[in-house]
Amino acid sequence: MLDYSLGIPEVDEITGGVPKGTNIMLLGPPLTGKHLLIRHIIYHTIKEGDSAVLVSTRDTGDEIIEWFSEYLEEEERSRIGIVDCVTKSLGKNIHDKDVVKYASSPVDLTGIGIKISQFFEEFIRRRQIPKTILCIDSVSTLLMYTNIQTLFRFLHVFTGRVKLAGAIGIYVVDEGMHDDKSINTLKQLFPAVFEVKTDGEENHLRILGLGSKPTPWKRYEIDGVEVVIKSGE
Amino acid sequence: MVTTGIPKLDDYLGGGIPPGKTVLYYNHPGVEGDIFIIHALYHNILAGRKSIYLTLSSDPQIFREEFMSLGWKIEEHAEKFILIDAYSSLIGATSGEEYVVDNPEDIGNIDRIVRRALDDSDENLLLCCPLSAIMDLCGVEETLKVVVGWNNMVGDRGQNIIYHFTAWPYPSEVLERIKEELFNAVIEIGGIRERVIFGQYFAVVKADWTRATGKTVLFKVVRPGGVRLYIPKILVTGPFNAGKSSFVRALSTKSVSVDRNNTTVALDYGHVDHKGMSADIFGTPGQERFDPILRMLSSEAMGIFLVLDSTRPRDFERAKKMLEMARSYGLPYIIIANKQDLDGALSPDEIRRRFNVPDDVPIVPTIATEKKGVFEAFELLVERIMEDK
Repeated sequence: MLDYSLGIPEVDEITGGVPKGTNIMLLGPPLTGKHLLIRHIIYHTIKEGDSAVLVSTRDTGDEIIEWFSEYLEEEERSRIGIVDCVTKSLGKNIHDKDVVKYASSPVDLTGIGIKISQFFEEFIRRRQIPKTILCIDSVSTLLMYTNIQTLFRFLHVFTGRVKLAGAIGIYVVDEGMHDDKSINTLKQLFPAVFEVKTDGEENHLRILGLGSKPTPWKRYEIDGVEVVIKSGE
Repeated sequence: MVTTGIPKLDDYLGGGIPPGKTVLYYNHPGVEGDIFIIHALYHNILAGRKSIYLTLSSDPQIFREEFMSLGWKIEEHAEKFILIDAYSSLIGATSGEEYVVDNPEDIGNIDRIVRRALDDSDENLLLCCPLSAIMDLCGVEETLKVVVGWNNMVGDRGQNIIYHFTAWPYPSEVLERIKEELFNAVIEIGGIRERVIFGQYFAVVKADWTRATGKTVLFKVVRPGGVRLYIPKILVTGPFNAGKSSFVRALSTKSVSVDRNNTTVALDYGHVDHKGMSADIFGTPGQERFDPILRMLSSEAMGIFLVLDSTRPRDFERAKKMLEMARSYGLPYIIIANKQDLDGALSPDEIRRRFNVPDDVPIVPTIATEKKGVFEAFELLVERIMEDK
C-alpha cells in the first residue's frame, strides 16, 4: 500500500493507495455527498495519526469543529487545521485560534494561502507529523468570486506546495457549475479524479488516475463518518 | 518622509520613503507580507498623515479591526484613515464608506475613485492598495497602465503609494516588469522553505533614492505587536576535532566558547554580521555523548554547516551520522572541507566522491584558523536558506 489511503477499503485495495504529492479533484454534481466524503477522509486521516488542513468556503470553523467533536477526541481534533473563509466575510470579527484560522473572505486568496502555509509549518515542521492532507471545499465557491486564471495561479502554487511537502491534496469541484473549459483547465493540476454521481436514488463513486485503470463505479452510502460500499455495481 | 512602520526597514531605505515615491511589497504566496501594509498605515496615521487603503478582499470593518488584533488603536485618529471600499459591491453588500467602487471589475471605475481620493488630499498622503488583487479582477495590462498613471500623479504631487503584490505565477515578463520597472522601490517578502515554509524574510531589492539595497532580514509576526525582526540560528556540526570552534570564531564578530582541555564540552556561540545579513551560529561538540544537544539545537536551527577535517576520511561515517541526526528536521546544509592547509588534505571533489555528497550540495574548502573560505561558505548557506523556488 502506498503512502496514503482514502479509508474506503474496497477502493484502496484496487488503487493501491495514494502516492504522496498527489493532487486529486473530487468532482460530481451537487448533492452527491462530496462534502461528507471530505469529512470522512479527514476523519480517517486523523485516525491514522496524521494531520489535515481544510479550507472551508461553506461552513464556519466552529460548525466543523462541533461536527467532528462527535467523532474525535480533543487531541485528535488538534491535528485538524481549518481555514475558515466564511465567518469574517459576514462581517464578524474574530481572532485566529489554534485549530481555526480566518481568511477575510473567499476573495482573499493571499490570506487563504498564508493560513494554509501556517498550518503546514505547524503540523509538518513544528509537530513533526509526517503526513498531512489539504482539502479545499470548495474550489467551485472560490470560482464564484474570482476568475479561472486567477484561481488557476493560486492552485498552481498550492498543488506545488502539496507535492513539496509530500502531502496529498483534495479539491472539491461541483459538476455543472462551470463550463468545460474551466473544468479542463483545472484538470491540468489534478492528475487524479475522484468522481461521484447519482442516478437519482443512489450515489456512486469511482477513481481515475490512481493505479493502472479507473476503478469500477461503486455504490456507496455515508453513515456518520464511514463510507459504506454496497455490493454490486 | 513616509515611514514603513518598521524601523529597520526605514533605516535601510535611508530614513523612510521620500515624497512622491512609490514602493511595492513583492510578496511570495503563503508568506505573511500583507501585514507590512497595516504597519505602514498605522504608523502614518499615528504621525497625523492622511492614509487611504483600497480594500478588495476584506470587509472594511474587518480590515479596521485588523489593527486591533495587533494591539493598535486607531479610533482616535479615525478621521485620518480612509477606506476605498471595492469589496462590498463584489459580494453584493451595501457600503457605509465615503469612497465606494461600484464595479470592482472595471479598472476605469477604480481609477476614477482613486483619483478622486488623491485629489481630495494635499501632498501629505499615503495610499496603500493590493496590486495583485486589482490585476486579478481587472486584468494585468489594464491595471498596470492605470498604475503607471497613479505613480506619475503622486510623483508630481509629492504624495506616496505603497502597493502590496502577491507574486502568483503570472507570466514571467509581467513579474519582471513589476519587480524592475514600475516602482521606485521594491521590497521582497519571501519564505524559507524545506518541505514547508518555516521562516520569513524581507529584502530591499531596489530603492532608487538610496544605495542600501540587498539587505535581508528575517522576521516573525506576533500578535499583538506585528513584524518582529528575527535572528536566524545556524548550526555548526561535525566530528571531534574537525575545527568547528575555529570555524565559529573565524566567522564571528563576537564569540564565546565553553570548553575545557581544548575541546568544546557544551557549545560554541558566535554572532555573524556579514553583508547586511546577521545570524547566530552554534557549534556543537563532536563526541557521541553530546548527541542529544545536537538534536535539541537542530530543532531550532535554519541551516547547517557540516565541518570535516579534510585529512581524516575515517571520520566521514561519524559526520554522516551527525548530519542525519540534524537533518531529521529537514534543514538546508553545506559541507566545509576544513584544514585545506595540511598535508594529505582531500580536495572537495575527492570528498564529494568518498562521502557520496549529492551534486547540489556545495563543498567549500576552508582554512578556518586563517579565516580562509569561511565567509564564502556563509554566503552560500544563507543563499540556500533564503532561496524560494
